Amino acid sequence: MSQVLQRTSPTGTRATRVIGATSILVMAWVVISGLLLTPQDVVQGESVRIMYVHVPSAWIAYLAFIFTAVASASWLISKKHSMGFDRFAGASAEVGVMFMAITLVTGSLWGRLTWGEFWQWDPRLTTTAFLFVTYIGYLAVRRLEGSIEQRARRSAVVAMLAVLEIPLVHFSVVLWRSLHQGATVLNPNGDVKMDDLMLFTLFSGVVGFTLVFIWLVLHRQRTMLLVDVANNQGLDAAIVARRAERSAN
Amino acid sequence: MDLTPRPSEPSKKPRKWLPIILLSLVGVGGIVIVTQFLTSAIDYYCNVDEIGVRSGCEESTRLRVQGTVEQNSLQKTGSKTNFVMTFNDKSINVVYSGDPGGVFQECISVVAHGRMIDGTFESNRIEVKHSNEYAEKNADRIESSGSAACSQAQG
Repeated sequence: MSQVLQRTSPTGTRATRVIGATSILVMAWVVISGLLLTPQDVVQGESVRIMYVHVPSAWIAYLAFIFTAVASASWLISKKHSMGFDRFAGASAEVGVMFMAITLVTGSLWGRLTWGEFWQWDPRLTTTAFLFVTYIGYLAVRRLEGSIEQRARRSAVVAMLAVLEIPLVHFSVVLWRSLHQGATVLNPNGDVKMDDLMLFTLFSGVVGFTLVFIWLVLHRQRTMLLVDVANNQGLDAAIVARRAERSAN
Repeated sequence: MDLTPRPSEPSKKPRKWLPIILLSLVGVGGIVIVTQFLTSAIDYYCNVDEIGVRSGCEESTRLRVQGTVEQNSLQKTGSKTNFVMTFNDKSINVVYSGDPGGVFQECISVVAHGRMIDGTFESNRIEVKHSNEYAEKNADRIESSGSAACSQAQG
């Protein structure tokens, strides 16, 4: 057991250090470009700068939840039921919830500046809030009592159901009348109406946030492994105690 | 090897209440959100041309109406803001009590909350509906057209 702990701690590797350093560089560019180099929007003025955080964080939250569903499905389908899939699913959901919270907070600030209100019960905001609450529920399910196999099975089912909400959130602005604007980059006709530097900074944000997501998930799933290992130490201690009893008899 | 727990060693693990409480809160939160969705979000607003025509957009009820603020129609008199709101070639006069503030301006889409009274829409709340277009602020272009949103609409 101690060998496992020594092998898996610290959680960093050369790969995570490279990803971490690259994400710092990309995010530094996003901050400089987003705050200083990109122009004000003709209508929104300075508040458009919120977009460089809001949009990438929303996309990465979607990505995280889809990754959670894929990892959960892999756990359910695989014959060995490798717990690595479950840990990746849980780590990705945790990071996804964090990015979803950033999306809601930045969107709320932008809404106050543009709409005049922090919150509106419009289709996009309402479905996003529901998605956020659903994944908090997913994280709560992961912490219910039971073995790690029970945890994995329960949460995998929840994850595969919860991911179905993402198309509803994304297309809510098309399906219903929404105060939230429609898609700019992912619009169906492919005509992106955005200033070039704004668009480049937005994509830089997506790249930077993706790297941060990967870095966080890698570290988090390794800390989850350590927690599982620590929880199993009770069983190991019982085996050692029984062996000691038997040899004493 | 017999690994069954010793009967004399009762489990000392307390029940985990936090996830159960959290799940209960999530359930309540989910119900609140779904309720809000059914009562508010599905039909967030009526368009100007649907007032008195579409079901749920009756003139006698409090409405949320979407339209574009017509160019050269914006007037501020005392504490009131007057403008014409248009959608699909149908227009209504809007009187808003106060200054909408924010990015409210001519040629921009808005959702006004209020009632139709004697042919005028009396609003006490206005939300600006931003388009999915983003362009660089250009001082010269704004001066020549009078409104940033109008310059964007004109390309």
